[in-house]
Amino acid sequence: MQKCRIFLLLLLTVLSSCRPDPDIRYEMADAILSRPGTTFTARVNIDVLEKRFSSPKGIQVHGFGAFVVYWDGVKVGQNGVPASAGQPEVPGTETSYYQIPDKLAGLGKHVVIISGTQSYLLETTERSVMAKPDSYLKLLRQPLIELSLVNLMAGAFLIAAIYYLFLYANSKYKQRTTLLFAVICFLFFALLVMEYLKFYIDIPYTQFYTRLTIVGWLTFANALLIPLYFTIHFNLPYKLLFMAALFAALLCIYVLNYEHYDLTAHLYSLTLWIASVLILLYVLIKKQPGSLLVLMGFVVSMVINQYMFYDFGLYVSFTIILLCILYLQTLGAKQLEVAHQASLLLSSRLQLELIKKNIQPHFLRNTLTSLIDWVEESPAQGVQFIQALSHEFDLMNEIAEHVLIPIRQEIDLCRHHLEVMQFRKEINYVWTDSGIQDDELIPPAIIHTLLENGITHSIPSGENKVEFVLSFLHTATAKQYTFEVFAENRLKSERRGGNGFRYIEARLKESYDDGWNFSSEPFTGGWRSIIRMDL
Amino acid sequence: MRILIIEDEARIAKRLARMTRAHFEQQLSLTVCDTLAKGLAYIEQSPVDVLLLDLNLNGENGFEVLEAMVSRPFHTIIVSAYTDKAITAFAYGVLDFVPKPFDEGRLFQAFGRLINKSDVPKSSLKYLAVRKGGMIKMIESAQVSYIKGAGIYSELHLRDGRQELHDKSLDTLEQLLPPAEFARIHRSYIVSLQQTAKLLIEPGGKYSAQLISGELLPVGRSRYKELRGKMI
Repeated sequence: MQKCRIFLLLLLTVLSSCRPDPDIRYEMADAILSRPGTTFTARVNIDVLEKRFSSPKGIQVHGFGAFVVYWDGVKVGQNGVPASAGQPEVPGTETSYYQIPDKLAGLGKHVVIISGTQSYLLETTERSVMAKPDSYLKLLRQPLIELSLVNLMAGAFLIAAIYYLFLYANSKYKQRTTLLFAVICFLFFALLVMEYLKFYIDIPYTQFYTRLTIVGWLTFANALLIPLYFTIHFNLPYKLLFMAALFAALLCIYVLNYEHYDLTAHLYSLTLWIASVLILLYVLIKKQPGSLLVLMGFVVSMVINQYMFYDFGLYVSFTIILLCILYLQTLGAKQLEVAHQASLLLSSRLQLELIKKNIQPHFLRNTLTSLIDWVEESPAQGVQFIQALSHEFDLMNEIAEHVLIPIRQEIDLCRHHLEVMQFRKEINYVWTDSGIQDDELIPPAIIHTLLENGITHSIPSGENKVEFVLSFLHTATAKQYTFEVFAENRLKSERRGGNGFRYIEARLKESYDDGWNFSSEPFTGGWRSIIRMDL
Repeated sequence: MRILIIEDEARIAKRLARMTRAHFEQQLSLTVCDTLAKGLAYIEQSPVDVLLLDLNLNGENGFEVLEAMVSRPFHTIIVSAYTDKAITAFAYGVLDFVPKPFDEGRLFQAFGRLINKSDVPKSSLKYLAVRKGGMIKMIESAQVSYIKGAGIYSELHLRDGRQELHDKSLDTLEQLLPPAEFARIHRSYIVSLQQTAKLLIEPGGKYSAQLISGELLPVGRSRYKELRGKMI
């Protein structure tokens, strides 16, 4: 944790110190615009005071329309094709670059004239014209440098999106957070691509706001989904309420700042930040693992956002946030791994418990004592006893490694057990079953466990008889086994069961997760246990 | 000899009964109960000399039952499949622990302890169970300074000066107490060797044992020699 903090601090210092010194100093007046009809002319006066590069000078022009650019009266280039008699306008793009001839590039006062048409400009989308001189090389290279970093981030998130999508598709557990994370990663990838698309494609100024609208909605979606991720991951109370409030807030921002694209995106991000930090503070108090690290990530992202160039800083902060979520995601994966290990452990423990049933000292020693007595007193029946015992052992051995067995096998096991117990206790045990479908599956030895309980806790009736009845019911919604013991109960309390019941419940949970119900209680004349498995 | 068998497995109960009859032959009154509840009810009603008890009776807390049994006047012999509980059972003060499966020889050996006092169990008594106001109180045998016979009961005199009444007679207790720690010094006294400071010979040939607490207990003439041997 300490190392993490130091690393984040270093990263912060490095990032905040990478604002380069300008290569050119100049003074520039605001553009003087004249707009007769659909034509327009903008005049920008520039006084270049200092120039620290020897490469050609260039000029970057921001503006809507199709126009020709003149530097000191010399045409340096054009953006789109202005409308002329009989020819409609071919719209130019919002940002364009022009090289200035060396002989005109000296220090001192210069005039930039931008002249053309704005045929498709609506009143509401009026936008000023700007012209900025700089090294031509730098003007062209700057987007490349930015893109190299942005593409790196975008690529990483595209891979993460695909990876987590595949992981979700192929995972047994289908965790919602995994899918959500894949979606967030993809949205973030799309956001980066949309934001920097302007460097690849000449978007006509008429479509300028289309891109911003898409960027806005992508940010909106992320502002909603990232806090949603946290609410699910940390299993917050009042998820729906919280998400509804967040959605309402984002919608308010959209409506109140309609068509203020950059401001809207900024406010979305701020809302995302506040909502997430609120959640993280809450879970930090609840001492949930990972909350502190993620909270620190958010603090760092805010600091970076404050100190770095607007767009870029925003994306770096987003990246930090996504890395934090990635960390949570791996934490979640670790928990799954632990849970999986635990379930494996449980399965082998249950298997062991089943095997132990027949080698438990009290079972073995009591059985052997009776057996010795039978052999000593009436050897022929002693042999029958040994055979019954060996049948029970054989069956136990067969089922021991299975998680589910056919009910008929379970019933056979019970009958052999009764045979053994009949020799031991010299009580007439009667077994009946009804409605059994032989191939229905059931966890091993759970009826057997109920039977053992029944034998131990029953006092035989007057005829020295104990009756066991197993019946099966298949309804539209569930399968149900009812196991009844007809005898006097030794214990009236609910105390009977104990380890046996825990075994049954663990076996049911192993095979049916939460889709089962088990009850066991006395009735006049006996004891009734009901096992229901939902369909 | 009045013997009670508490055993819920019919076959084993029959076996016990058969062997018990074979051992005691004529002078025997034998009762078999197949549930603990019946057994407890019987004890309340009728006097018993020896109880043969299956320790894990239907999953109820066996040691609670054991505590209740060893506080009674009679001897308890455990007949159990839970062989790993033998040491604890001896610590509670049972006469013997017969592990299942058993044969006649082993059961007869347990009955033999009723008469043959030199056949000492390997594990020894650690607690004396005292019944007091319906509750069972377990007293560490190391806390006992000496025991005084009081008819069919015994008075336990403890190191802190307290006294407790035990339902077992002095003779019965003598059979249970480890001879390395306790000695019968008199018809009416058993003393803890650890608590005995010295032996005194008083004028007139009377012998006494002086305890660390200063109390003087009479020592029987016939027992003096043996006691002196143990003290050294």
